[in-house]
Amino acid sequence: MGQILTGLNRRLLVSLALAALCAAGCRSDSTSRSTAGLQGAVPRGGELLVSVRSEPRSFNRHAARDTTTDLVSKLTQGSLIRVNQVTQAVEPWLAESWTTAADGRSVTLHLARDVSFSDGHPFTAGDVLFAFEAAYDEKSGSALADVVQAGGKKLVVTATDPLTVVVTFPSPFAPGIRILNDLPILPRHKLEGALKAGTFRKSWGLDTPLSEIVGLGPFLVSEYVPGQRVVFARNPRYFAKAPDGGALPYLDRLVVEIIPDQSAELLRLESGQLDMMTSEIAPDAYAPLKRAADQGRVRLLDLGVSRNADGLWFNLKPGALGGDPRAAWLQRDELRRAISMAVDRKLFADTVFFGAGVPVYGPETPADKVWYWPGLPQTPHDTAAAKQLLASIGLTDHGRDGLLDDPQNRPVRFTLLTQKGRPNLERGAAVIRDELKKIGVTVDVVALDSGAVIDQLLHARYEAIYFNADKTDLDPGTNPDFWFSFGSAHVWNLEQRAPATPWERQIDALMTRQIASTDEAERQSLYADVQKIFFEHAPIVYFVAPRIYVAHSVRVTNLTPSEYRPQLLWRPDTVAVAR
Amino acid sequence: MIRYAARRLAFALFLVIAVSSASLLLSRLAPGDFVTESLGARASRQAIEQQRARFGLNRSFGAQYRDWLASVARLDFGYSMLYDRPVRDLIPERAANTAILALTALVCATLVGVPLGIVSGSRRGGLLSAAIRTASVVLLSMPPLLTSLFLVFAAARTGWLPIAGMRSATVPAGGGFMDLIRHLVVPAAAIALPLAAMLERLQAQAMAEVIAEPFVLAAVARGVPRSRIVWHGALKAALRPVAAVYGLIIGSLLSGSFAVEVITAWPGLGSLMLQALRTRDVYLVAGCAGAGALFLACGTLVSDLALAAIDPRTSDARAEAA
Repeated sequence: MGQILTGLNRRLLVSLALAALCAAGCRSDSTSRSTAGLQGAVPRGGELLVSVRSEPRSFNRHAARDTTTDLVSKLTQGSLIRVNQVTQAVEPWLAESWTTAADGRSVTLHLARDVSFSDGHPFTAGDVLFAFEAAYDEKSGSALADVVQAGGKKLVVTATDPLTVVVTFPSPFAPGIRILNDLPILPRHKLEGALKAGTFRKSWGLDTPLSEIVGLGPFLVSEYVPGQRVVFARNPRYFAKAPDGGALPYLDRLVVEIIPDQSAELLRLESGQLDMMTSEIAPDAYAPLKRAADQGRVRLLDLGVSRNADGLWFNLKPGALGGDPRAAWLQRDELRRAISMAVDRKLFADTVFFGAGVPVYGPETPADKVWYWPGLPQTPHDTAAAKQLLASIGLTDHGRDGLLDDPQNRPVRFTLLTQKGRPNLERGAAVIRDELKKIGVTVDVVALDSGAVIDQLLHARYEAIYFNADKTDLDPGTNPDFWFSFGSAHVWNLEQRAPATPWERQIDALMTRQIASTDEAERQSLYADVQKIFFEHAPIVYFVAPRIYVAHSVRVTNLTPSEYRPQLLWRPDTVAVAR
Repeated sequence: MIRYAARRLAFALFLVIAVSSASLLLSRLAPGDFVTESLGARASRQAIEQQRARFGLNRSFGAQYRDWLASVARLDFGYSMLYDRPVRDLIPERAANTAILALTALVCATLVGVPLGIVSGSRRGGLLSAAIRTASVVLLSMPPLLTSLFLVFAAARTGWLPIAGMRSATVPAGGGFMDLIRHLVVPAAAIALPLAAMLERLQAQAMAEVIAEPFVLAAVARGVPRSRIVWHGALKAALRPVAAVYGLIIGSLLSGSFAVEVITAWPGLGSLMLQALRTRDVYLVAGCAGAGALFLACGTLVSDLALAAIDPRTSDARAEAA
């Protein structure tokens, strides 16, 4: 038992320090970091009105990856553990404790006793095995198949008794069981038939009778009105208890209204017809909400700097640009480093995020106190140095017209794809275009639907892209698809058979060691080396990370806000409303 | 007359198939597809290919279109990839919501626009007609999108009306019908106000022309009261141009309500089609477009019938042509 939760304790210490830092950094006016400081008993009962932009695609999380389906799953289903979205610590949920083997490869999870699904059927280790079977079933093509893998390989899960499960990783895997956070434990007694019949993915579609949808989560789906709302009632059999030993969730009902337009969402929130939105506030909506917050009509929360920033990358796949002579400079490190120098990040933050952003120079933002490398150099805004760097690869102003040309006297010009309908991306691309014009580089910005951008990315039919390459989890070990050269999110050169460059080979080697190590200090040191190499070669150029703001009505209480979506509802069982 | 009706029905069928096919073709040929849109940038090639095969997106457009046409012949409009449900199950519930909104707006616009048009058209030069004309021009220059934003803002500020949705989560005192009416006010007004202005302008013009006709002058000379001339004699003759555009109005209501549905979160066909377009759910796009074409075909049919009722010469001429 000596090793029980050892990783957790270390992380908790780091997290407590982080929480203290966050608290110290709170704004003292109407914009605050948290409203969790509740005096006295938490009120019970009542209804919470929440909005989403689109309706769920299914009640089965394995069938869809959209944020609303994920929210429905978080409300109605339980998982073995829960990653605390504020502290990043792994917390017990359906598994009340666990022990890690000395080799770090297997974890024995002890399940909570006397837990039953919302229909009264007892929860056992068989349901845990079923959840993994469903995720790995190739016929079903589960949306969660990638989530519960370590280094691209499946985990081996066995049950030693009805309340004990052993999870074995294919190789030492430092992130460990935190990857189980997103795997809902589904009822075998309801869905096993569908899995065997090969119709699992179609199970629990939106036309399923709601009485068929059972779960271990705090709420039950009680009503679904297409295009309008999903209503959730409290699950009377929910197993988790409040600190005072009382039943959870605190709420009686939670109504998720489908409102496709953010302006309508904001107006409803301001007028008291909505309690909270499940997405952050767009930068241009901050001012009106701030006024409403100052008048005491809503609470506006500043959740700090985002841990994700949008980035610009070039197509670095060898030969992808065919016979295009521009390939000689389009794929050079110097071009990307010059771009990083040429763009004024302060101007970028002011224009794109209305001042609510901080400059970033690498894949981790300063908000991530655990994995951000403080030694990361900060690229200065220096157009002269940028021009000099471009001159070193033969890009100079031959015609004395203020525009750069390559050695064959062709203009230095490229097309930058971005996503249409995302103001932050469109404004960001425009700033990049304008800033590069100042050093004589012409950029043609083309905005496409996200599917079209991804299609161009997958087929390597682009020159440059400005897009979001968000991480799914803070621990770099859970993002092998981004870091490894064979990864499907290694966006600048996808799914390579062998590393295309020496520095990518170096990152592969460092990340292999980083993921396998169980020594936290060693992992941080290895990851700092990765960030250093990334900075030197800049396969993605980052500019600014935005601050995250969310808002809620004044009657909502006992919140634990987090930067990650759903920022205010990641722990729905403890949210309450004043009556 | 039967041949005429049959021709109209055949035209409606052709319109629905042509519009649906064009929508399917355009949304299929644009870069990207439902799979890339829904799986996002981090999905592996293997997962993408697996999903494309599942939805039949790895086949050529020709093969996909042939199968779709064959299923349409069996009144099966395909399967929505987004909702994992047949398109024919999804469309009716949303089309009914759009019809409620569109018909309410149409009735309100007609009840307000036509009488005001008669008043302003029959009393040219007066202060009242000038005020009506000015109001109409202002409303005509405001697209439904802007009107709905303004009305939503006003509703939010006053708190008198719900801002979004079709029904409250908890049915309030007064029952479900009153709740629906309260939710209808903002979106219906957003569509009805510019529409009423358009009908007023059309009706005023037509009325002014009819008032100058010899039969009206003769009635005035015979001492028939002015109000009787306007509301009985001239009105019927002046309704023809308005009835003629009714079909187009009904068809355009669908597209006009598109933006309004999104802003006011009205769960109609417009918001469904927008979501289908965003996610590149090609069969749902085709189904929504087909339903829109059906609205238009029905609208023109209603318009023709109304015209025939007002002016029997129209139906005689069309029957002869048929």
